[in-house]
Amino acid sequence: MSRVDIERKIQDENDRLAEENRKVFTEAGVFVMNIISSPGSGKTTLLEATLDRLAERVNIVVIEGDISTERDMDRVRARGASGVQINTGGGCHLSSRMVADVLEDLDLSDAELVFIENVGNLVCPSTYDLGEDVRMVLLSTTEGDDKPMKYPAIFHEASLAVLNKIDLLPHLTYDMEKVEKEIRVLNPEGEIMRLSALTGDGMDAWVDWIMERARAKKASLADGG
Amino acid sequence: MHELSICQSMLRIVDSAMEQQKGSKLRKIFLDVGRGSTIEPVLLKEAFAVITDGGPYDGTELVINDIPIAGVCRDCEKEFVYEELAFGCPNCGSTNIKITAGLELDVKALEVDD
Repeated sequence: MSRVDIERKIQDENDRLAEENRKVFTEAGVFVMNIISSPGSGKTTLLEATLDRLAERVNIVVIEGDISTERDMDRVRARGASGVQINTGGGCHLSSRMVADVLEDLDLSDAELVFIENVGNLVCPSTYDLGEDVRMVLLSTTEGDDKPMKYPAIFHEASLAVLNKIDLLPHLTYDMEKVEKEIRVLNPEGEIMRLSALTGDGMDAWVDWIMERARAKKASLADGG
Repeated sequence: MHELSICQSMLRIVDSAMEQQKGSKLRKIFLDVGRGSTIEPVLLKEAFAVITDGGPYDGTELVINDIPIAGVCRDCEKEFVYEELAFGCPNCGSTNIKITAGLELDVKALEVDD
């Protein structure tokens, strides 16, 4: 009997393709955000509200991930996004392979922003790098204030946590400070934002945050960085 | 959650290593699986049994090293392991901690018959 050392991450294959995707996005000069949350947290509504504020001056592409239907792609297209719907047929997350496959047919030449709306799931998408610049986790106030510690992987992996539906706080017993404290334990370097995609509260800061980073990425690419 | 697709990725790594082992029989696969990795060892073993049934790795044992979630406090520098998920440093109570282990999903080694 002998031991053969391997020392390889199982996610190596996904990660390798994610890096290829990253190169494609960089060559196109686009800023890419992977949005992860449970079903019903408001991912699509947030995208609609973002498109309302940006689509007239910024070319935005959305890659929608769902088990089935084109409902989300229809909604964002109606607000000015171009893009494509991926149906996983039962798969619980998007993988870099799925994104690579649609990138072949996607025209990114005029695009500035790419949002990838992942399959509604707070567990599985966390371990799949898609080639994004930012992995964002969206948590809404109606999901209970005990969630970050119950889902440590995604809150640890996501560099931005967005707390949505703050307009509903008067109707809920929700300890926002506790939620933010837990998120900071899992990710001391991560950023946290509070907003309501519905009422617009906090949306200006969200849009500014994205555009600042998109411009910074473009600038660093122009510098040959 | 998606232990079957994780098994498939794992077996691609194993296949590629076994190509260099020229006809040896694979006895064991050693994995590190962190408790925060989203992968459940029991389900992974079930998926493995299904996927290897009747094939060259039928009978290969999956040996899983279960890794707890661990951290270090940036304020008092104490290291600790979470048995239950409580947050904060057990020593000084600070929440300025860094998670240092528990998210692994790695193929560490194989055991083969010579």
